[in-house]
Amino acid sequence: MRWSVKGMKVFYAVLIFFTFTSLIIIAGIAVSLITVSSPIFMKYGLDFVLKSVWNPVTEDYGILPALLGTLMTSTIAILIATPLAISLAVFSSEIIPQRFRSFMNSISDLMASLPSVIYGLWGLYVLAPILHNYIMLPLHNYLGFIPLFSTKPTPTNLFTAGVLLAIMIVPFASSIVREAYAAAPYNLKEAAYSIGMTKWEVTKITLGYIKSAIFAGLFLALGRAMGETVAVAMVVGNVPNIPKSLFDVGYTISSLIANQFPNAQAYEYMVPALYGGATLLFLVGLIMNLVGLYFVRKVMIKS
Amino acid sequence: MSWAIEINNLNVWYSDKHILKDISFKVPKNIIFAIMGPSGCGKSTLLRAMNRLLELNPNAKVKGQVKINGIDVYNDNVDITWVRRQFGMVFQIPNPFPHLSVYDNVALGPKLNGLVKNKKQLDELVKHALQQAYLWDEVKNDLKKPASMLSGGQQQRLCIARALALKPKIILMDEPTANLDPVASSKIEELMLELKENYTIIIVTHNSQQAARISDYVAFLYMGKLVEVGETSTVFTKPRHELTEKYVVGKIG
Repeated sequence: MRWSVKGMKVFYAVLIFFTFTSLIIIAGIAVSLITVSSPIFMKYGLDFVLKSVWNPVTEDYGILPALLGTLMTSTIAILIATPLAISLAVFSSEIIPQRFRSFMNSISDLMASLPSVIYGLWGLYVLAPILHNYIMLPLHNYLGFIPLFSTKPTPTNLFTAGVLLAIMIVPFASSIVREAYAAAPYNLKEAAYSIGMTKWEVTKITLGYIKSAIFAGLFLALGRAMGETVAVAMVVGNVPNIPKSLFDVGYTISSLIANQFPNAQAYEYMVPALYGGATLLFLVGLIMNLVGLYFVRKVMIKS
Repeated sequence: MSWAIEINNLNVWYSDKHILKDISFKVPKNIIFAIMGPSGCGKSTLLRAMNRLLELNPNAKVKGQVKINGIDVYNDNVDITWVRRQFGMVFQIPNPFPHLSVYDNVALGPKLNGLVKNKKQLDELVKHALQQAYLWDEVKNDLKKPASMLSGGQQQRLCIARALALKPKIILMDEPTANLDPVASSKIEELMLELKENYTIIIVTHNSQQAARISDYVAFLYMGKLVEVGETSTVFTKPRHELTEKYVVGKIG
């Protein structure tokens, strides 16, 4: 059945309505972030971003420790996740037998969509003690003279949060790499094999060809790592201090907001302060996504 | 007489489908040998069976012999990457590595296969291959630019240079001009005539005029069977088989 002209018009009207609704909601969030957080920026100016203090009693707020915590945990996460995500993608597209491939990919996609509180629980009760006993303590004991490992670790700290984040974003990042790998043209592989390349050499050249897609996947994953809240709040330690090493306890912006909002109403400036943190997170996340999308677009132009 | 390649009772299946049926023929050295036939007759499969590129398809099964210099490429003791290096291959759609530079596209094969000892030798080899492919003058100032910047015809000549850089004896061409404009096509054809001095060229084409124009020997393949093979002038003027005659005059295909 074909749609009448009138039907098409109604259809378009509905489409336009919903499109604009979501655009307006996003714009609304941006506006309220800025307006609600403005008092904190008026009061402290740049100090809000550059100071390390969180004292509700004196109404003194500085977001620097949480900002550094966010950057540190997500950097740890992306450094660990990059080789894992690429290996997983290559493994599932080249090495694993065809009949197990879709099973394995489903598992990986399931991991990507698991509620983050599950990762948080597992991170707190399983991952944190293991990392503490077998990785962080030995590193601190034997290599403690290196500043990165200088703090005596507790099970929950920035490093644990970074590793947990890495585990959480690997399936997501690797599925983007996997898709791009599968989309690499067949005649490119033929060319590579025809000049006597081995399977490993062909894999390398294919990875080179999808470089942009890999960057895109990693930046989108980084954006996720920065915004992740619950799981991180459960393992990061939640202490607002400037991190002195990888093993220091810390805060991230999102875990700070999640932990502090229940009492925020009691203080004059805490709500604006939390909104100020949210605004920063919004900006950093926006930048990461734009960089990621830039690489995605580069891939699309090429193919 | 020694042959560039000898094919004996070659059979190919994709899963259960019998694609090539008992193909046998010999290709003399330093000639252009064309394989022609309607689409789907198995031409490209035959070409890929020679350098074992067919094995990229996990469903492909091969029986029979393909001999180069008396060595059967399907012998268990033969290394598959060695086999592929004995042939240069040029494909229907120009497929340089688009993210690599013009230079690296040509240099990669010899580098990986240890054909050169140092940078100077490599530079010379790349230059020579590009000159042989009549591309050097057009790209000598852009060697560092990505291959994707070149035009379609230039990309195809780059692929020829990439194949030549491996110093093969035989060059396999799978409809190399099918996606090029007439000017670029005739350049490639001239180039092939030039190259047969030093190489044996096996070209697959669905264009019987092209086969008549450039080849010395021609094989006509129809529905997976080798119908006729012989000197091009004979096959086109006095075909022995009725099917060949029909194809040559354009009644089938």
